[in-house]
Amino acid sequence: MNNKTIRLRLNQQQLELIDKSIAAGEAGSREDLIRRALREFAAEHAPAAPGDAKER
Amino acid sequence: MSQRRVLQELVIEPGTGKALEVRRGQILRIEQTAGRQCADFNCFNLHDYKEFFHTGRTRHLHGLHPTKGDFLWSAPPRERPMMSIIEDTVRTNDVLYPRCSAFLFEHQYGLPVHTNCHDIQAEAQREYGLTPDDVHDSFNFFMHTGVDQHGHPFIAKNTAKRGDYVDLLALIDVLAVPNVCGADVMMTSDFELKPLKLSVFEATDDDWRAVVEPPRRTNQRTPADFKVQTIKADRELSRDAGYRPDFTNVPLTISEIDVELTDAELDMLRRLGASGKFGETDAEVLRYVFFTWWIEKFMNGPKHAAPT
Repeated sequence: MNNKTIRLRLNQQQLELIDKSIAAGEAGSREDLIRRALREFAAEHAPAAPGDAKER
Repeated sequence: MSQRRVLQELVIEPGTGKALEVRRGQILRIEQTAGRQCADFNCFNLHDYKEFFHTGRTRHLHGLHPTKGDFLWSAPPRERPMMSIIEDTVRTNDVLYPRCSAFLFEHQYGLPVHTNCHDIQAEAQREYGLTPDDVHDSFNFFMHTGVDQHGHPFIAKNTAKRGDYVDLLALIDVLAVPNVCGADVMMTSDFELKPLKLSVFEATDDDWRAVVEPPRRTNQRTPADFKVQTIKADRELSRDAGYRPDFTNVPLTISEIDVELTDAELDMLRRLGASGKFGETDAEVLRYVFFTWWIEKFMNGPKHAAPT
């Protein structure tokens, strides 16, 4: 595994929205919430990976 | 359904409008006498005319054709539901088009003296001391409109029939000003101006049950929240030498958040980014994805999201 770090630039208001979601129990940390968003959004909107198409 | 008590009935003739005091708990009915007639409408807080109906916020929250179950919202920063549409037998209302005006008929038709909704509203509102500058963008009842595939708005044939009506329940005391749209050379009222019947009823318990509970937020402000609380009475603008900027949450400071992605997550991000719709860099795509996801999942009200 070769993880990569993405650096997001967010202002205090955007962080407030994230922190309120964490306080509401949606994730354990800012990073977890953002990763969850990516996974759920990709599941709905990302085109299938080339490997997925071959398996069909 | 229990019987409504009629408080007032009148007919407004083509080229005219009428300012009516409609108290909280009263219903204004605007009714077709012959059919196919657009009614332009203004609405003010009866106790503070600086609070008035706002097409923009209403359009934002209810779309281009508000109907039964929707509210007539006042302008920011008040943003309160002023009236609730509790019945609408046609469902072809419009909050996209502005009122027609004398300029429009002169400019587009070469008719410098012509009935028009701005001047009709101004004349009706004058009964309560308001000026032509106080007329605001109208709610256009029974105006059948749409937007074509190229984004251009259009006016379609009016489909209202004799006896069709809208019922507006006042949630605060208002000055309600309906007028018979003066556009007889436009499609708006099928090229013929017809009278409209206005009725004011006392709302029944059944009527109140038809009202969706409106939201109440701390940012539905009143003049008590304003830094300047007096209404400016002169026309000239001059600088306040004592002015010091006091903008909300300023300065906006940027923080950097490092998000570590696995190979699989990075692949998801890159596949999304390859569409070109979400941003140019990995960070732009991830930010777009996060907030779009959050809006879809948690935001109250219509999402206004572009198709993906």
